[in-house]
Amino acid sequence: MEYVNPEGLRLDGRRFNEMRQIVAEVGVVSKADGSAVFEMGNTKVIAAVYGPREIQNKSLQKKNDHALVLCEYSMAQFSTGDRRRQKFDRRSTELSLVIRQTMEACILTELLPHSQIDIFLQVLQADGGTRSACINAATLALADAGIPMRDLAVSCSAGYLNSTPLLDLNYVEDSAGGADVTVGILPKLDKVTLLQMDAKLPMETFETVFALASEGCKAIAERIREVLQENTKQLEYRRAA
Amino acid sequence: MGLPDSSQDLSTEMEVDAFRRIFPLRFFERHLSESLRPDARPLGKARDTIVNPGLVSTADGSALAKIGSTTMLAAIRMEVMTPSTDSPDEGCIALEFHMPPICSPTVRPGRPADAAPVISKRLTDTILSSGMIDLKELCLVSGKAAWMGYLDIYCLNADGALFDAALLSAVAAFSNLEIPVVALNDNGRIVAISGGKDEDNASIIEKKAVNKEKRKLTLKNIPFSLTCILHKNYILADPTTEEESIMDTLVTVVLDASDQLVSLYKSGGTVLAYSSAVKSCVELARKRAKELKQILGEMDID
Repeated sequence: MEYVNPEGLRLDGRRFNEMRQIVAEVGVVSKADGSAVFEMGNTKVIAAVYGPREIQNKSLQKKNDHALVLCEYSMAQFSTGDRRRQKFDRRSTELSLVIRQTMEACILTELLPHSQIDIFLQVLQADGGTRSACINAATLALADAGIPMRDLAVSCSAGYLNSTPLLDLNYVEDSAGGADVTVGILPKLDKVTLLQMDAKLPMETFETVFALASEGCKAIAERIREVLQENTKQLEYRRAA
Repeated sequence: MGLPDSSQDLSTEMEVDAFRRIFPLRFFERHLSESLRPDARPLGKARDTIVNPGLVSTADGSALAKIGSTTMLAAIRMEVMTPSTDSPDEGCIALEFHMPPICSPTVRPGRPADAAPVISKRLTDTILSSGMIDLKELCLVSGKAAWMGYLDIYCLNADGALFDAALLSAVAAFSNLEIPVVALNDNGRIVAISGGKDEDNASIIEKKAVNKEKRKLTLKNIPFSLTCILHKNYILADPTTEEESIMDTLVTVVLDASDQLVSLYKSGGTVLAYSSAVKSCVELARKRAKELKQILGEMDID
């Protein structure tokens, strides 16, 4: 099947280095301390952050002088095209762990000892790149909650089909059987916090695909920064009024 | 001053927010005596309600309903199943109400919220007993194939009156629902027909289509609900979470479009309701049903 036609257009009309349309908004769940909606094309995710609050299950606390970060990833029953999903399957557990570790690396947990930060992610529509959308949404929600972070954690995926590296795969491209590299970086510090890949790739190709994904991450970081700055301006107007 | 009541003394010195947290009941009663609530609503008025259909493109029908800050997202997926032998001409609806941890600080991960299965059951009972959906419309081939509709309602923000918002989103999702096009293939099984490929499908559709085009369900007797709180001799319509946590007597009235009573629910609580209180609740529900009917009507036109 042809994923990239001879003119260089993909199935949805994008070029190899074009991301899908991003819609990002903070403050959507009024009951949460911080919340955000992040959409990458047809993938829609809501993140809600509750914290810092008192630790609810003391047995989970490992480091006394650091905050405990918990993360739960779940997909809505109607989020994918075919069958209904089991609520807590292995993929959800794996993603919860991956996202928790990514965010834990970026939150300044030593500033909030004896407390718990809960990050909840709900996928409303899944069309490829859910893990990246979740990390981006979680970053926005944590910023909305005012939790101190080292840097924004941003994530993007890239793949390799029809001998072309492709940025931001959707579900059809992801299930094509080519490689899928998900990268999570802290842009200002220029450090990689998440790197996952499945399928085989030669080393040089991997480096090209990785570089493409990092570029995508930087673009998302710009967008997230804009959203947060706009949000801060709004807060300032409301406060001054 | 010289008032014996200690909270009265403190109230003149304390900040409003602190008074609201420490003496919530007195804070509310001060407002109720002026026939107002802290968000400036009159006692019988519900919050601003918005309904947005068709948000989830992966579902066959969906809707988002917001009453104040309470937000519910409902989506329906249709699957083909074999009907049971005692009702071979009828399809089936499976409803589930979820309260994911994002919606409220009181919901813990790994442990479902107490309210969720209760609301799930009440919604199923209300929707089925109201007669809104004729299950015979969900039949495809008598005795062999019928539609099973999986309705999932997710609470995205829990700020009181969860049942009302959930029912509204369910009703809106059903009115947004378009049943997919299917045909009977050679093996006697129902297959879905995707939009794109014309020639193959056109011939199948002409010969064996069981469902010619995407059709909508006819909804009769749409139920509308209103939850009220009873406190002393006040009746507050459409409570927020704060109000629900302080005053525990809730009454939910469900009426249909022709003003018939579909369901009445009062599960305990400190206030015992006289029939006059119940009648007032029904009156408030009647007004609310008119408002909701208009909001749904506007949604359909779009």
